[in-house]
Amino acid sequence: MITLIKLEITRALRNKKFMFFTVIYPSALFLVIAGTSDTTSLVPHTHLTMPLYYMVAMASFGSLTAVLMGNSERIAKERESGWVRQLRLTALPGRGYVVAKIASAAVATLPAIVVVFVVAAAVKDVRLDAAWQWLALTGAIWAGSLVFAALGVAIGYLASGDAVRPLTMIIYFGLSILGGLWSPTTSYPQWLQNISDYLPTHAYAALGQAIELGGAPHTKDIALLVGYLVLFAGAAAWLYRKDTRKA
Amino acid sequence: MPGAVVRLAQGCPAGTVTSVMPRPRPLTLPGRAALGEAWAMTATTAQSAPGTSAGSGRAEASASAPVVAFEKVNKSYGSMRAVADLDLTLHQGETVALLGPNGAGKSSTLDLLLGLRTPDSGLVRIFGTTPRQAIEGGRVGAMLQSGGLMEEVTVQELVRLACDLHPLAHPVRQVLEEAGITDIADRKVNKLSGGQEQRVRFALATAGASDLIVLDEPTTGMDVSSRQTFWAAMRAQARQGRTILFATHYLEEADEIADRVIVLHRGRVLADGTSAEIKAMAGARRISFELDEPADEAGLRALPHLTGIEISGRTVRMRSSDADATVHALYGLGVYPRGIEVAGLGLEQAFLTITDAATAEEAGR
Repeated sequence: MITLIKLEITRALRNKKFMFFTVIYPSALFLVIAGTSDTTSLVPHTHLTMPLYYMVAMASFGSLTAVLMGNSERIAKERESGWVRQLRLTALPGRGYVVAKIASAAVATLPAIVVVFVVAAAVKDVRLDAAWQWLALTGAIWAGSLVFAALGVAIGYLASGDAVRPLTMIIYFGLSILGGLWSPTTSYPQWLQNISDYLPTHAYAALGQAIELGGAPHTKDIALLVGYLVLFAGAAAWLYRKDTRKA
Repeated sequence: MPGAVVRLAQGCPAGTVTSVMPRPRPLTLPGRAALGEAWAMTATTAQSAPGTSAGSGRAEASASAPVVAFEKVNKSYGSMRAVADLDLTLHQGETVALLGPNGAGKSSTLDLLLGLRTPDSGLVRIFGTTPRQAIEGGRVGAMLQSGGLMEEVTVQELVRLACDLHPLAHPVRQVLEEAGITDIADRKVNKLSGGQEQRVRFALATAGASDLIVLDEPTTGMDVSSRQTFWAAMRAQARQGRTILFATHYLEEADEIADRVIVLHRGRVLADGTSAEIKAMAGARRISFELDEPADEAGLRALPHLTGIEISGRTVRMRSSDADATVHALYGLGVYPRGIEVAGLGLEQAFLTITDAATAEEAGR
């Protein structure tokens, strides 16, 4: 089990394309979007500056990329190639494969978060009031990524072959944009904001924003994320069992 | 078990002997009726004995459950019946070939055996336990025809993973060596040829001291020489007292390494015996010749011991379970056959004859 997790992590770190999209891409995007903005004006209807807003948005986006893309496509591919079947002929417990996938995605998530923070602090001079806020931010974004890891597993067992990439992309971009990771939802029409308020990505980014303002995350956002976690993990477990019966 | 031997020596009827039966065991032929009178002679109705065969070197196993037991197992996919009332017992130390064309139910049978699928009805047991329990205990090593490999890792890393997951693991180096992949240990898994991939799969199946090794079409994609090397690796595993079950449609392969061949057809056991017995069953020899004048069909078809005949103009090809008698009778017809050739049939031909006969009988129903 430990060997499988280690091997999954080694693979993830070796995959240059994957590492580029999870670690470099969010930071690059942060520089593109927040790079030209001034550091004092606030994002409309919030108390956050542009760099602060986008730092959390891009860190969340980076972890979303790592866990969603990392899990869904790999699981679908390995289901198809028969590797999952071959693993079922070992003494590895049935859940071991999924646990190893989530663990390795979580390891790739951490650098994605930290690199965005470092770039934001170095280039855009982002400062927080207290040191605990950095740690809390990292912890919250890292823990929150579990919700999307479960979603990635569910997609991996739902779709197969050619369908998995487009499906993942639609969900990935849909959640990123509608949830306000790329641009503040306050600029959206009201009806879209109403939808956005209930998306997991919106609640996910809101965790970080609350911490940046020096407070605790809102109960509503936490409840929403826990609800989505239960939903996605339940779907993943159900699809996994269905797939196992089908072999 | 001296008691059983004594009973044998006293001439107990074969049907009552259930404890010891030396190999090769009597041929069982569930589909015998389908195959014509010609080879009723070679078939017996004795049931295979659940005792263990000699030479396994694992005395403690002789008193316990058979390695593999299928009891009245059924599996359908929609309206397709993949496995039909299958009864199957494997004993310690046997090397068994599961032979059949595509769609005969080989892969389904192995999936059921390994617990990848659950039967609609019936019971599958490995060493008396469920397949999953046997796998978790490290008693089964298996490679699948469709068994993909983890990509972006080296051969050695993958084999190390298999060893770590096996409760009775061998050292990584030994596994690499026995599978003949030491030289490609540092190669990336996704950069291997088809034959090399098969050997890596074999390494995964033999990562530990499993009592049963299951291989689904193990030499697919190999050339002749690597197939020979691979067979040597399989034989080495068998010599260590392991029970080996492999599915194949390479009939040469069954002939070469198996000491027991089970022919599957439409999810049923069509024949079960040594490869020599299977060959004997289907009409051992092929006779071909030319005639000076158009053949007297009725006369030729009435020849004794024929199991098949094909007449095209003056060329005649026939199969016979007793070529000497057939040829003798042929001269008795008063014809003059030219260029007469009598040749033994390979297992492949034997096998085609069996499955054709079964298909024809089903169609005739």
